[in-house]
Amino acid sequence: MAEQGAGSEFERARRAAEERALVESAKRGVTAAFATLYRNHVGKVYGLCLRMTANRATAEDCTQEAFIQAWRSLPAFEGRSAFGTWLHRIAVNAVLAQGRKRHEQLGADASAEEPAAVLADPAVGDDGAVLDLEQAIGRLPPGARQVLVLVGLYGYSHEEAAAMLGIAVGTCKSQLHRARQLLGERLEAPEVRP
Amino acid sequence: MTHEREQSATRLDEALGQLPRGIEPARDLWPGIEARLEPRARRTARRWLWPAAAAVVLVVGSSLLTANLLRREEAEVARQVPAGGGTTFTAATFGPGQTLDPAYDAARQELARSLAGRVERLPPEARRQLEQNLAELRRASAEINAALDLSPGDPLLEELLLNAYQDELAVLASVNQLTGGNGAATTTNATRMQL
Repeated sequence: MAEQGAGSEFERARRAAEERALVESAKRGVTAAFATLYRNHVGKVYGLCLRMTANRATAEDCTQEAFIQAWRSLPAFEGRSAFGTWLHRIAVNAVLAQGRKRHEQLGADASAEEPAAVLADPAVGDDGAVLDLEQAIGRLPPGARQVLVLVGLYGYSHEEAAAMLGIAVGTCKSQLHRARQLLGERLEAPEVRP
Repeated sequence: MTHEREQSATRLDEALGQLPRGIEPARDLWPGIEARLEPRARRTARRWLWPAAAAVVLVVGSSLLTANLLRREEAEVARQVPAGGGTTFTAATFGPGQTLDPAYDAARQELARSLAGRVERLPPEARRQLEQNLAELRRASAEINAALDLSPGDPLLEELLLNAYQDELAVLASVNQLTGGNGAATTTNATRMQL
């Protein structure tokens, strides 16, 4: 047991040292190091973007934008937080910026688009319960969905999520409550899938 | 009713907890990203230098691990380890030429002397690891110094050398503290040093 603990501690230390080295190399302009960071983090970043936008093409755009922005900002990254945490914040900003841009371009029509493309993403898998839940999350109103994804799924505090989304903490809490309520209702009475 | 609502909330939390956090995109997004990466307006590293830099990072990583294991052993035998947080060094500047600043060298010698008396108290494996790590760090410093002889004033080499020296100091100071040495005072001296 103790050996297992020491083993996992060693593994964590090794990964942390490896990531620090990759970040330092990427800061100096080594794109191969940044490519490795991309491979290590793309799943979580894309997952976050896909769930926040509920649209595969938009999520892909946001993921690319997040990594490009990270590359530009990397020289200023001081390592006060983990690289992954820093990258997630950039991804959230990319999603929000993309949403604003879309809203400006399409006006009111933007909100009328059919979301829930998460369901159509083959990478989500084919587990029925998982698909039902992903679909239900994808169909939540955007505000409630974003709060649920950040707080309920990715573990951000209300304060952190509110700051990232530019809303009041009270609004964040009520959006989460609303999201949970809607999800609960939809999962208790699921639609029949074709 | 309330009980049912609680059960429903619990089920939802469990379901959310089971969702995978990562989802791989259906297509490779890297080529699109790579095409838009602007090159840094800085110097590029010589390929053969990266092994030296990587050695420094790996050595520091394994030294920190050794230090953590030592800390655990210390706690088990309920020994007091001097408090004062981790070893930190103020931002150093690179001295003239490629020689060490005398203040740095003096503190380095002081730490090494202090360590020599305590290293025998380390478990054999930790001792072997420490000696190996220090040898690696010094080898890396020597390689970078040799490269600086060929390319004096190269800012990347200077940065690598600076990192290697700081890493060596950090390893010496942390081991010294963890084995019950007067690390706090030594570290205080070290924080004032500049390369």
